[in-house]
Amino acid sequence: MAQSRTVTGTVLDAQSGEPLDNARVTVRGTTLGVTTTSSGTFTLVNVPAGPITVSVRRIGYQPSALNVAADASALRATLTRDLLHLSDVVVTGQATVVDRRNLANAVATVSASEISRVSAQSVEHAIQGKVAGASITSNSGAPGGGVQMRLRGTTSINGASEPLYVVDGVVMSNVAIPSNQNAVTRSTGGSNPDLTQDGQVNRIADLNPNDIENVEILKGASASAIYGSRASNGVIIITTRKGVPGGRRINAIQRVGFSAISNTLGSRTFTSADEAAGVFGPAARDVFQPGVVYDQEKELAGRRPMSSESVLDMSGGDANTRYFVSGLWKNDGGIIANTGFEKQSVRANVDQDLGSRLNLSLQTSVTRSLAQRGLTNNDNSSVSFWMALPFTPSFVDLRRKADGTFPVNPFVASNPLQTAALMKNDETVWRSTASSRLMYRMLEGESHSLRFTGTAGADYFTQDNSLLFPPELQFEPIDDGEPGTALLSNSNNLNLNGGVNAVYTLTPGNGPFRATTSFGVGGSTRDLRISRIISRNLVGGLSIVGAGTNVQVVEQRQRVVDLGVFAQEELLMLDERLLLTGGINADRSSANSDTDKYYTYPKASASFRFAQPFRYADEVKVRAAVGLSGNQPLFGQKFTPLTATQNINGLPGLVVQGTVGSTDLRPEKQREIEGGLDMSFAGGRSSLELTGFRKDISELLLERTLAPSSGFLTEIFNGGKLRTTGLEASLNVVPIQSARTEWVFRTTFFSSRSKIVELTVPSFTVGGFGTSLGSFEIEEGGSPTQIVGNDTLPDGSRVVRKIGDANPDFVMSFVNDIRFGPFRAYGLLEWQNGGHVVNLTKFLYDLGSNTADYATPITVDGTATTVGARRLAIWPRQTATYVEDASFAKLREVTLSYDVPQRLVSRFGRGLQTMLISLSGRNLLTFTDYTGLDPEVSNFGNQPIARNIDVAPFPPSRSFWFSVALGF
Amino acid sequence: MKNMRLIQMNMTRLIAATAVLAIAGCSELTVPDYNNPSLEDLQTNPTPTKIAQSAQGLLVGSRLQQGTQNGYVSLLGIVGRESYNFDPADPRFIVEMLIGPLDGGSPAFGGNLFGAPYANIRNANILLAALDVVAGMSAAQKSATKGYARTIQALDYLYVINTRDTYGSPLEVSIAPTGPPAAIASKADIFAHIAKLLDDGLVELQAGGTAFPFELSPGFAAASTPEDFAKFNRAVKARVEAYRGNYAASLTAVNASFIDTSAPLTLGVYHSYSTGSGDLSNLLFDPTGRAIVAHPSIRADAERKPDGTLDARALRKTAIIPSRTVQGVSSDLVFSIYESNTAPVPIIRNEELILLRAEARFFTGNVAGALSDINFIRTTSGGLAARGAFANAADFTTELLKQRRYSLMFEGGHRWIDARRFNRLDTLPKALPTHNVHSRFPFTEAECLARVPAPAQGCG
Repeated sequence: MAQSRTVTGTVLDAQSGEPLDNARVTVRGTTLGVTTTSSGTFTLVNVPAGPITVSVRRIGYQPSALNVAADASALRATLTRDLLHLSDVVVTGQATVVDRRNLANAVATVSASEISRVSAQSVEHAIQGKVAGASITSNSGAPGGGVQMRLRGTTSINGASEPLYVVDGVVMSNVAIPSNQNAVTRSTGGSNPDLTQDGQVNRIADLNPNDIENVEILKGASASAIYGSRASNGVIIITTRKGVPGGRRINAIQRVGFSAISNTLGSRTFTSADEAAGVFGPAARDVFQPGVVYDQEKELAGRRPMSSESVLDMSGGDANTRYFVSGLWKNDGGIIANTGFEKQSVRANVDQDLGSRLNLSLQTSVTRSLAQRGLTNNDNSSVSFWMALPFTPSFVDLRRKADGTFPVNPFVASNPLQTAALMKNDETVWRSTASSRLMYRMLEGESHSLRFTGTAGADYFTQDNSLLFPPELQFEPIDDGEPGTALLSNSNNLNLNGGVNAVYTLTPGNGPFRATTSFGVGGSTRDLRISRIISRNLVGGLSIVGAGTNVQVVEQRQRVVDLGVFAQEELLMLDERLLLTGGINADRSSANSDTDKYYTYPKASASFRFAQPFRYADEVKVRAAVGLSGNQPLFGQKFTPLTATQNINGLPGLVVQGTVGSTDLRPEKQREIEGGLDMSFAGGRSSLELTGFRKDISELLLERTLAPSSGFLTEIFNGGKLRTTGLEASLNVVPIQSARTEWVFRTTFFSSRSKIVELTVPSFTVGGFGTSLGSFEIEEGGSPTQIVGNDTLPDGSRVVRKIGDANPDFVMSFVNDIRFGPFRAYGLLEWQNGGHVVNLTKFLYDLGSNTADYATPITVDGTATTVGARRLAIWPRQTATYVEDASFAKLREVTLSYDVPQRLVSRFGRGLQTMLISLSGRNLLTFTDYTGLDPEVSNFGNQPIARNIDVAPFPPSRSFWFSVALGF
Repeated sequence: MKNMRLIQMNMTRLIAATAVLAIAGCSELTVPDYNNPSLEDLQTNPTPTKIAQSAQGLLVGSRLQQGTQNGYVSLLGIVGRESYNFDPADPRFIVEMLIGPLDGGSPAFGGNLFGAPYANIRNANILLAALDVVAGMSAAQKSATKGYARTIQALDYLYVINTRDTYGSPLEVSIAPTGPPAAIASKADIFAHIAKLLDDGLVELQAGGTAFPFELSPGFAAASTPEDFAKFNRAVKARVEAYRGNYAASLTAVNASFIDTSAPLTLGVYHSYSTGSGDLSNLLFDPTGRAIVAHPSIRADAERKPDGTLDARALRKTAIIPSRTVQGVSSDLVFSIYESNTAPVPIIRNEELILLRAEARFFTGNVAGALSDINFIRTTSGGLAARGAFANAADFTTELLKQRRYSLMFEGGHRWIDARRFNRLDTLPKALPTHNVHSRFPFTEAECLARVPAPAQGCG
């Protein structure tokens, strides 16, 4: 038996020379390991005699290995900051992680520091432009969210289009519940009865971005197969922050700022009463004054109220207990009267070791948010702001009068300034989530380890939509003869899930390989209940729904129950160069027709690292992965229902609803193959990741249009094939990394194409307002996002054919992050090239003969006309008149910061350790030829296909912030 | 080695534990449809209560597209130049409905008024099939319900063929909805089928006892028993036979209907509305003309009463608002026919029956009887002076159409349908030279897409 010895040492930052705490120091080939103290020191005891190799790792730094001679007893290790995240560990199974350097999929990771650079209302905004392959676009500029994240292109036509959000092991609901404003806007009474025109928020917006430690994005089936039949749109794995052992740390951030409208449409100016009367009728003569022009959009949306955000977090712990608690108070002013966004949140995350084998962790949070979103998007009663403005001339004064009342808008049913001032559209959400995890390390030997983990979580929210349209509003008596409307919707959603898994790791003595085997079972339930009350003819100035005489009540419920099992094997061998992974998930769900049948989703992947294959290259990894995942039918799609909620004078009536369900409805099946090449150069200073993928989605949930003469409208069934192929690239370079100066440059590229490879039914349209106003047509051989409309052939005959495509040609982003001493400058630019938007807002302005350029004279075929009249004249023959290129470049984030030097910081108070002062902004600049308010738009909210329809959206804004961050 | 055994033991336990959980996972996952009853349940397990609700559902289904701003009354009113829709949110009320061409791909316009009546025809077929299976109902109750269902079904076919006219339309609606679509039948075949439904329904109603085993809406007060409903059945028959020129049959039917010159002209059968929860309100009620306005020719073309004032119907049914102009089309009139958002919309009423009798009498040779009926309407409804004898058939037709125009104004596209069946669509006024008068609606785009190849006419 050889003698043992003690080794002590210090771990330091290679650039700054500062000591590093919480670095993990281990002796290779043994189970010995310790963590450095707050002064960066460590002591290893019982170290075997003879030369050893010590590994040093710390989050945020590149790992390092030191050879320690037999007689050495003191060490000094330095770690270089891992600016490119090359040495993260990444979740690959439901229970296991692997080192990024071995990863066989292009899993993107966004860390806390990247998320919290600029204040964001919703977590999706915080990762916009930061992930190759994720297209993240807002539905409008309305406060509070409403953002669609689409991973690697189009993956479904009628199924769910949202990725699965897993927060600390709990599936968090991302449903979007309409406010029911359509009871007033009557948007559902027009060509498209879809309720989603209410500008709803998808509820992942409730997460506090400041609480996030990191976000991992599994972009498709090859990475997400282990999540089974809900993973086809990708999986977003969010881990919230945790305490680390050591002293108590407190961070406080105070931000103040404001938002301002960043684009307006303008409107026509009139030079004479005759011209005004020619458009707006004789009534215009009474109002018109030469030279008087009001910017109605600025009057409506020109506010710049103050916004503020306060963040406080405290963390710490000892060897047995670690904690992180945080609070958020955010209050963003809106650019339109009575709009804005508030969010308050508290979180407590606790980790407790119970002896050496048992660990319990708990994550809890409570959030309250209030989004006041005005009245925008499509309507059929001329009350939505940008639905009234196209018919409101620039010469009419709509501003509040001295007596407090508003003038009547003589040209359309509503005065938008009055509507904004008097209405209310409040969405209040209370959400609480809790997740717990109990881990038992049954065995921890030199060559074997076995651990069991049990998780359980709950995610509950209530959403209250309270809308009020008081009788004083101009349109209130006009729209239905019943002054005053109050709307109340109450929704609640409960997600429960739990599971157990076991992970067994085998590392044979001489280390030829490491095999990690995991098994698990899990289940989840999702319950959603929405009740809505519409109350008209409000009595006595009350705003409660009980005060109306015409009251309508609606309730809807959904419940989905899933059960699944999985198994996974990871084999790391050849000196950790080759990683082979195989796994399978099998699950069944109440959403399928056959609730007893397990659908299986296997995956397999391989990666191999070549160390220094050529000069300048540190490492090159080739990787390939294939996997299957599913997309469950939506609740209710399997049924053939009758409608029982209609009556005639109180007599209940049963009628067919129009939908025929399939008796064999099952999840969509996505098979994804991805392959790629990861390279790092120049000593970790540069990395390139290239990935190509192909998704073949078969057994699509198709909503086939039936011949309406059958008495039914649609049949939901599985069929057809969709193929999406694409290319992702990201390049990271650190041109300068020194103690004083650091420059990081990142760029990403993404491009995808989709094609309907097989369609077993005739072509059908989805979304839109009919082909005359641009609609999406699903057609064999065509792109699923193709926009079709009327067009005219040279012989004069009219056809319906492709006139555009919502899918962009490519998306790129560029990040520059430059630190010079205490100063730092950071900017993120996102560029989307190509793609089309149906600009119906412009169409409305043209109909009102009120577009800014409407009266510009032109001559066509020798006849004098105007630009606007010409557009209107062509439109019946060419819908493309209102289909525009949606290319844009947006300066998403900008931050300029100053890290106050230590010697100055200490003057501000005892205990204060860091102080960061910054100026930042979001969406400061937009470069686009699109003539609408914003090319990022979706009248129908988050959609698998039918985005990019612009109807009177909430205008975009830019936000500016001044922040001070203090560390104690 | 000891370690290895321990692991093997643990692995065994692990697998066992996993298996137990997996078995526990074999629990029942069935979740019902909380929001809707199932069609299959009605088909396989009907009860008298479900039958009654299904029967009442026919009234819900039949009403669906009557009282909406882009419904049957409103759109047919526009193409027949009785009304305009100035809703600024959708220009197609003018661009498509007045200029055209009608576009089957516009679900709320050219492609409209198709799916809803067929859905209700399907509702009636489901009810008829369930009646063959249900236990606990008497033969008379079943017979009454069948006669009622066939009558409503006939009405829905009539709504379809009135818009698609010579394009014809599919006839067979009991086939599997997911199979190949039914063949398109000619206009004559559809009319023949409607007449047969009404005649079969009459026989069933006559064997239907004294009361229906379900309730009818207030709009059916005049047809609330099988006996009275049979009179409504004959009223519809009289219209159908007049539309296809079988005037002898029309005369027979009208005489068996609830026609009554001593009763109010409003006596009839109506679609009902209310503001109750789950019910529909009548959206044709638009007192300020926010969207729906009346055609200015209503007052301009009206005859004058002996005292010099306008035809009482023109004054009674319209009101003046400040003039509005949209896309070159102007009006200063709104309708006052529907006095509230719960006002009923007529299906057929006494006034139309008297005019149908006038028409049937004239074309079966009873010219004096026809004149008497026309003058009854002129004086009773319009306050006009009685007129003298008709110079010829054309003169009668002109008079008949004028009386029908003012008596049945904005009640269901009568002006357009009448102008078409007497080949007088060219007499309908066009506000601008670019405007056109459409003669029929195309099939809705979905109907065309479901058929390969597309039908020779009515698509695209």
